Amino acid sequence: MRSYLSAFRLRWKMELQYRGAMIGGIICQIMFGLILIALYRALYASKPQEMPIEHVVTYVWLQQAFFRMLLASDADLLDKIRSGGIAYDLCRPLSLYGFYYARIMAQKMTGSLMRAVPMLVFASLLPKGWGISLPASVPALLCALAGLVLGLLCVSALENITMAFTMKTLDPRGIQAMLNMLMMVLSGNILPLTLFPDSWQKVITLLPYAQLLDAPIRLYTGDTPLSEAPRILALQAGWIVVLTALGILLWNRHQKQIIVQGG
Amino acid sequence: MNTIKLYLRSMIMLIRCQLEYPVSFFLQTFAQFIMEGSEMLAVILIVDRFGRVNQWEAGDLFFFFGMMSVTFYLTEIFGRGITGNFPYLIRTGQMDTILLRPRGVLTQVLCSATDPRRITCVGIGIVSLVIGSNLAKIQWTWLKALAMAEAVMLGGVLILGLFLIEAIFVIYSVKSVELVNALTYGGRSACEYPVDIFPKPLRILFTAIAPFALVLHVPSGYILGKPLYSWPAWTAFVCPLSGTVFFAIIYCFFRLALRHYRSTGS
Amino acid sequence: MSYIQVDHLRKTFTVRKKREKGSLLRERETVTALQDLSFQIDKGELVGYIGPNGAGKSTTVKILSGILTPDSGEVLVDGRTPWLERREHVRHIGVVFGQRMQLWWDVPILDSYDLLREIYRVPEADYKKRLDELAEALQLGDLLRTPLRLMSLGQRMRAELCGSLLHRPGLLFLDEPTIGLDAVSKLALRDFLRWENREHGTTVLLTTHDMEDISALCSRVMVLGHGQKLYDGSLPALLSRYDTSRTVIVRFEDAEIQPQLPEGAVLSREGELVKIVYAPQEIPTPDLVALLQKAGPIREMTIQPQNIDYLIASMYREMDL
Repeated sequence: MRSYLSAFRLRWKMELQYRGAMIGGIICQIMFGLILIALYRALYASKPQEMPIEHVVTYVWLQQAFFRMLLASDADLLDKIRSGGIAYDLCRPLSLYGFYYARIMAQKMTGSLMRAVPMLVFASLLPKGWGISLPASVPALLCALAGLVLGLLCVSALENITMAFTMKTLDPRGIQAMLNMLMMVLSGNILPLTLFPDSWQKVITLLPYAQLLDAPIRLYTGDTPLSEAPRILALQAGWIVVLTALGILLWNRHQKQIIVQGG
Repeated sequence: MNTIKLYLRSMIMLIRCQLEYPVSFFLQTFAQFIMEGSEMLAVILIVDRFGRVNQWEAGDLFFFFGMMSVTFYLTEIFGRGITGNFPYLIRTGQMDTILLRPRGVLTQVLCSATDPRRITCVGIGIVSLVIGSNLAKIQWTWLKALAMAEAVMLGGVLILGLFLIEAIFVIYSVKSVELVNALTYGGRSACEYPVDIFPKPLRILFTAIAPFALVLHVPSGYILGKPLYSWPAWTAFVCPLSGTVFFAIIYCFFRLALRHYRSTGS
Repeated sequence: MSYIQVDHLRKTFTVRKKREKGSLLRERETVTALQDLSFQIDKGELVGYIGPNGAGKSTTVKILSGILTPDSGEVLVDGRTPWLERREHVRHIGVVFGQRMQLWWDVPILDSYDLLREIYRVPEADYKKRLDELAEALQLGDLLRTPLRLMSLGQRMRAELCGSLLHRPGLLFLDEPTIGLDAVSKLALRDFLRWENREHGTTVLLTTHDMEDISALCSRVMVLGHGQKLYDGSLPALLSRYDTSRTVIVRFEDAEIQPQLPEGAVLSREGELVKIVYAPQEIPTPDLVALLQKAGPIREMTIQPQNIDYLIASMYREMDL
């Protein structure tokens, strides 16, 4: 457990070093948020919808703030594979699956938390209809937080599966790009899932991609009433179990193969 | 013309290099297809739910989206040297190698990279243009075709200018280079839609500062028969020139940046 | 008028020091890379350029090649100021950095050469002839269809050298070309440089830490330290000042023999071998040899000069570098 924590801490320190880039990134992200909100407001002005604009605006801000959690981007991994440094990882007395799981989670958490906080502060200062609104209720907020944590576990498990394939093919770019694309669309980042046709939403919200951000955001805004919260959280948990099991299976199989290959 | 020959030969060689890793290449190209496809899907779903924005109807929206896609991604294919590779050239010191060769700096930079994976994105843009053209029932004339060609080309020049800013920032070791991304990628995302639907600050940003609206939207409005702000037809041919003006201004700063680079080394 | 004329070159850099704990701004420090450098090089010379790290050697090469502008001073290469007439100047020089490859990584080097031909606008016939000549001299024949990434370091260096000479530059800058190479490659490279210099009169400025390179190739060497030229002349003359000891290794027929030696000679035994370290200025070598012969029949004798790196280190120490 301690080694997982140290992997986490290492990642945190790394992220802190790139402060300047981070500030630029935050401003860039805020800009995107404003543009998207301006677009949706213009659309709403033309044809008002059932769902209040404030919910859509909140949706956009939360998506932008936690954007870093979406993407798989372990640049180190590419170099590690190329240089053969992977061999060192294989020699460690940790379960490889667990090690990379912690690593992925750390990357997502550190990257997003440091950007989310300033962004959300900014978003809360904006006038109504532009800024983030308060949660539907305190229980809603708690459920949303729970949903976020579960969603994070879910997506980390998903990415860990991709990682297993990456180990096999030794070139992560193609596969990671595919995962990123799927995430971007089906998590509600490019267009809020709440604006998708209702029939589509029924299916997409069941997929693991939607669990990271869409599920918790709906709990936050109250679009998903509290009564549904247990069902949502259970769905997330279910995915976590399935994806983790699948991941461990694949890793064990690949671990044997890698050792045979000799790196 | 010798320069064009050099450019073409460089492009061919770069593409051959990329095809050395065919699986990864096609996977990434496919991923691009999905990405741009999903951006277009967003437009489709928006049109499905909202129908129209102000005076702009479904066909118009597809047309605007297509114009931006085709312009932006064609620029990334042919201008990748500036749009993506430049920071890498400076950080790795390859700029020195460029300075050691008897050709212009910008020429060599353009010859240094290409991103043929974006071809699928251009394809989707074309599809969107065709859909838009049909839905909006555009009456095509030679003049309109000319306006479109001019808009795409000068839009490319504008985009190159924007990425040139990023290069300048890298030369001066500015930490938050990502700020430029707000203008470039923000501009791309925003101006996939007609600029007049946005509030004033954004409108001014993308008309006076990074003139996407002047270069792409004015001609698009003219082609669709719904001129932006009801401006006269000749603006569709004159406004895109702002892209050239923008590039020229940035280029002057770029020369200064180069001089700075050459006096401080790498 | 010399081929290369450098007068009172001065170059400083502003460096940002590491951020002190607790302070917001970074302090700036001015580092003088070149203080007042002047020298001349004639056409066809093969000059070595040595000095400790940070002495300003790379800075000099960068200024001479035109990619760096100096603070003050004048440089004329073949009548041109490098940084003012970049394109024309660069057309006539070749540069090889030991660590950085200018050739493309994933394609056969022949394709890289083809593109270089395009860049330097070399006429087709000239190119063909020159490529054949270089490929032969550098033994690249089989490698031409191989991409750079599949080559060993020695092969890559040869490929780089070929690429940098295709356009027949009159002047060649080499920065640590033999670093990391095995013995065979080093020798081959030196042979090639000697040939190129002799055959085509190519002027060569060689920056290196490898003293074997210098002594094998350069009749003239310049020493740079703290941004100033400290020596400009022949290598043997430079070293003779510091060449203060020799080692004689003798194996006598009778291993027990104890030779009588004058004061100042240090004797040690290594198994059967007798090692004597002495200063040839104090004890002339022939005298010492005579003494040893007198001590008894000699089976084998070797006289070794001081290791050249040792000499250079002494020189640096004395010059306070």
